[in-house]
Amino acid sequence: MSVRDDIDPAESAGGMADVAVPGVDIDELLVADDRRARQQAFLRFGAPLIGVVGFLLVWQILVAVFDVPRFVLPAPWDILKHIAGDPGFYIRNGRVTVWEASLGFFTALVLALAAGTVMAHSPFVERASMPLAVLIQVTPIIAYAPAIVVWLGFGLKPILVITSLVCFVPFLVNSVAGFRSVDPNLLELARSVDARKRVVFWRLRVPSSLPFLFSAARIAVGLALVGAVLGEFFAGSTAGLGYAVKTAQARPIQLLDQLWGSIFVLGFIGAMATLLISALERVALHWHSSQRL
Amino acid sequence: MTSHIMDDTVNMNDGAGSVTVPRADLHVSMRGVHKVFRRRRQVVEALRSVDLDVQRGEFVSLLGPSGCGKSTLLRVIGGLVEPDGGVVEVAGQLPTIARKTKQYGLVPQTPALMPWATVERNVRFLSSLDAGRRSDAASLSDRDIDDLIDTVGLAGFRTSYPHELSGGMQQRVSLVRGFALGAPILLMDEPFAALDEITRAEMRYLLLDLWQRTGTTVVFVTHSITEAVILSDRVVVMAARPGRIAAVEPISLGRPRLPEMEDAPEFHEHVRVLRDHLQDHS
Repeated sequence: MSVRDDIDPAESAGGMADVAVPGVDIDELLVADDRRARQQAFLRFGAPLIGVVGFLLVWQILVAVFDVPRFVLPAPWDILKHIAGDPGFYIRNGRVTVWEASLGFFTALVLALAAGTVMAHSPFVERASMPLAVLIQVTPIIAYAPAIVVWLGFGLKPILVITSLVCFVPFLVNSVAGFRSVDPNLLELARSVDARKRVVFWRLRVPSSLPFLFSAARIAVGLALVGAVLGEFFAGSTAGLGYAVKTAQARPIQLLDQLWGSIFVLGFIGAMATLLISALERVALHWHSSQRL
Repeated sequence: MTSHIMDDTVNMNDGAGSVTVPRADLHVSMRGVHKVFRRRRQVVEALRSVDLDVQRGEFVSLLGPSGCGKSTLLRVIGGLVEPDGGVVEVAGQLPTIARKTKQYGLVPQTPALMPWATVERNVRFLSSLDAGRRSDAASLSDRDIDDLIDTVGLAGFRTSYPHELSGGMQQRVSLVRGFALGAPILLMDEPFAALDEITRAEMRYLLLDLWQRTGTTVVFVTHSITEAVILSDRVVVMAARPGRIAAVEPISLGRPRLPEMEDAPEFHEHVRVLRDHLQDHS
C-alpha cells in the first residue's frame, strides 16, 4: 500500500483518484468497487441465464443417460430443433394466442381500474363487491370456462371473457390497495387547501397506485396466457398455441414434438412479456424503492 | 421586539384572555375551544376551553409533551379538525372557509413529498392544485419560488427526486412548499422533529429567514424548549389530560435571532421559566 499524504489532491487528478487520503490506497479501493460492480452485474444477468441453461442441460443429460424414448419425453435440444424446423407454424399460432391474451389483459386492466375507482370512493360498493371478486378468483376457471363457451358460443368472444376474468381480480385488488396507499400526510396537505376529490385522485391516488398495478401486471401476464390457452381448448378454435397443444395431445405419438414445442414457445412468450413489463416498470417507477438495488 | 409587525402600538396578548388588540391585527382568535376524541367508547379530552389569539405576522409556538393536544390545536386552527365547542376565527372567517381560500401553508412532521415528482414540482404542489379556483392567497410567482429554492440551498437539486435527497434536504423542500403557496398563515407540526440536532439548528435559522422575508403568521408545534425560545415571539405552554393551555410566555430576545443568542442569559432564563411551567403541569 502506498502512502499518498505527500500528494496534493489537485495534482493527483491525472490518476484514478482525485482525492488523496493518508494511509489509504484509493486506487485500490476503486478497483475493488469495479470488481464488486462486475459481480453484481453477473448476479443480475449471468446467474438467471445459468439457471435456465443448467436446467435444460440436466434434462438433456438425464434423457440421454436413462435412454428415455422420444415419445415419452423428448430432450430439450430436439424440441428446439423441431421449433427451428418449422418456425412459421409457431409464429402463426403464437400470434393468435398473444393477440387473445393481450386483448383479455388490457380489457381486464381497463375494467378493473374503473371498478377500483368506484370502490376506492365508496366503502359500500367495495364491501358489497369484494365477495364477488373473491368468488371469481377462487372458483377454478377450468370449471366455468365450458359454461362460458356454452353461453357465448365458439370463437373469440368466450376466449376474451375467460382471459379477462382471470386477469380482472389481481388488477382490481391491487388498484384498490394502490389508490388507498397514498401517504396520509400528503392527503392532509391536499385537504389543507381544500383540494377536490377528483384532483386528489389524479394527482395523488393514481401515481401512488402505479407500483401496485405493476405487481398486478406481473401476475396477470401469466394468467392471461392461461386464459387464452384454456379458451382455445374449449371454444372450438382452429388456431393458437392452445389449439396446437390440444391437437397434439389427441395424437401424442405423432405430434409429441408439437406438444413440447408449443409449451416452449408459450414459456418464451410469457418470459418476454414479463421482461417487457420489468423494462416499463424501470422507466415508470424509477422513483420507487422497488427499483433500487 | 416585533419589528416585522407594522403597527407597534398593539398590545401583545400576554396570556389567558386579556384581549386589547384591534380586530384588524388579530389573525387567529379562539374562544372556549373544546375537542373530545372518542375511541371504543373511551373519551379523551384533547382540548379543554382553549383561548388563544395570534397576531398578524407573529411567530407563536405551541410547546408541550406528547398527547397535550398541540397537534390537535394546530389542526383546529387549520380547519382540519372540527372543534366540539367554542369559536375559532381566522382572519374573521371560519377555518373551513379559510381553507377553501387557501389561507394555510401546512408543513407536516414528515416531509411528505410525492416520490414520483421532482423537487420543483413538489414545491409547487399546493399552489398547483385547483389552479383555477378563487384564492385569497396570491401564489408566489415562479421567480419568487425559485428564489426560495435557492435560499434553502436546493438550487442544484431542482430536478432531483426525493429519494436522491437527505432527510434534511427533503424537509427543506417541505418548508419551501409551505411558503410557496403565499398563504398568510403557516401551520407547522414539529417539522424538524425527525432531523438530527445539527440539521435542526440550521433549519431553525433558515425558517426564521424565510419568515422574516415573507411576513407570514406562523403557528409552530414543538416539544423542544430551546427551539420554541429561539424561534418564537410567544410560547404557548400546553399541558395534557385534559389538553389545555398552561401558560403563555412572551420571548424578549431581539430580532433577527442569531445563533449567539443561545448563549445569552436571557435565553437561558426563558428556557428555565418554560421548563418550570412544563414541570408544574405534568
